[in-house]
Amino acid sequence: MHNTLTRVQNVFGFFTSVAFAVAAAIAMSVLLSPQTPSASLELRNVQVVKGRPHYYSTKREEYAHVKFDLDADLTSLFSWNTKQLFLYITASYPSSDPTIIPPSEAVIWDAIIPSDYAPLHPNTYIHPTSKTAPKPKKSAKGKGKKEVGKPYPAGASPGIVRLDNQKPKYQITDVSGKIAERENATLTLHWNVQPWVGALVWTNTKTVGRWQGLQGGEAKFAFPPLKGTEVKKDDLKTETGGERNRGSPA
Amino acid sequence: MFGSLAALQPRQLAAQILNFALVLSTAFMLWKGLSVFTNSSSPIVVVLSGSMEPAFQRGDLLFLWNRGIETQVGEVVVYNVRGKDIPIVHRVIRRFGGGSAPLSLLTKGDNNAADDTELYAHDQSYLDRSKDVVGSVVGFVPFVGYVTILLSEYPWLKTAMLIFMAASVVLQRE
Repeated sequence: MHNTLTRVQNVFGFFTSVAFAVAAAIAMSVLLSPQTPSASLELRNVQVVKGRPHYYSTKREEYAHVKFDLDADLTSLFSWNTKQLFLYITASYPSSDPTIIPPSEAVIWDAIIPSDYAPLHPNTYIHPTSKTAPKPKKSAKGKGKKEVGKPYPAGASPGIVRLDNQKPKYQITDVSGKIAERENATLTLHWNVQPWVGALVWTNTKTVGRWQGLQGGEAKFAFPPLKGTEVKKDDLKTETGGERNRGSPA
Repeated sequence: MFGSLAALQPRQLAAQILNFALVLSTAFMLWKGLSVFTNSSSPIVVVLSGSMEPAFQRGDLLFLWNRGIETQVGEVVVYNVRGKDIPIVHRVIRRFGGGSAPLSLLTKGDNNAADDTELYAHDQSYLDRSKDVVGSVVGFVPFVGYVTILLSEYPWLKTAMLIFMAASVVLQRE
């Protein structure tokens, strides 16, 4: 009755029950922390060019290069159960038959903003620093510590994003190959909160309990007509993210 | 230890075997019941690769839900490449169609710079939501699934665990 095997079994059983209960409590506690997200997203410039947007593209097609301004305050989304915030901006436009087919949507930019408590991972967003900030002096002794950029502006906290004339990460195409002169397009900010344990949460625009809906974060625009050869190559450069696997997807 | 096994009456031995079979079938029915509830062929998956780091590490357990027909951009889906049986967990970055038309999705891993176009079958440029997608991730528990990765990488562990479990169930009811 009281041999070692029974004791080990009982302890292990109790351990799993307690671990399960604690995990469930942590997952549910997210509902209690209030959220007040706000953002202002504006289109800066959009260009549509014909060419091969990806290295694997077999045919020339029209692709759009969308630059935007973003000023977001999403610090309230970071609770003690938040591992990271996946922020992404999409461009959506109506389909060929809007009454029965929903709009097409494509991501133009994304960023991974980890919580301060998350272990350091190279695949993190590095917030661009303002050009007027003083450069840190190089340490005189030895190699000196490598300066790692933070995912938020200097002096702020995770969730603050201030971008001006930001280049997109992806140039978007339509499945038909034509994206020029499409009307009623919308630029929208979304997020995905990744918890330490529990349910994944996406953008909420409506208020639910203590969680207020997102204020702002939308901009309407229209895709311009196709540009000819007057577009400079420099204008079509895209932003490089922190992804580690830069070759063929594994 | 085996002396006590030999002392069992045939009826008691039969009862033990039935008990063991009941445990196995209950576990199986719970799994299948969850499959029906979530409408997914595999409602709980283990992350096998590091292509979604730092969100999902190898060994994390993911809970899937397959009843959301209109999968949105930004959702994390688990899909099978046509012709292969390996489930891949990546995020949706583009969608076309939906409603009356079939929904086409393009996916990309958070830790991959390129999207999944090269992972799909040779003549496939997009995923079909109704055919290729196993489910969409709604919940997550870290590390717990690492046991299954160990089991698949060291097959002798599987046999050892089964023998140990069978022995403990049969010998316990004394």
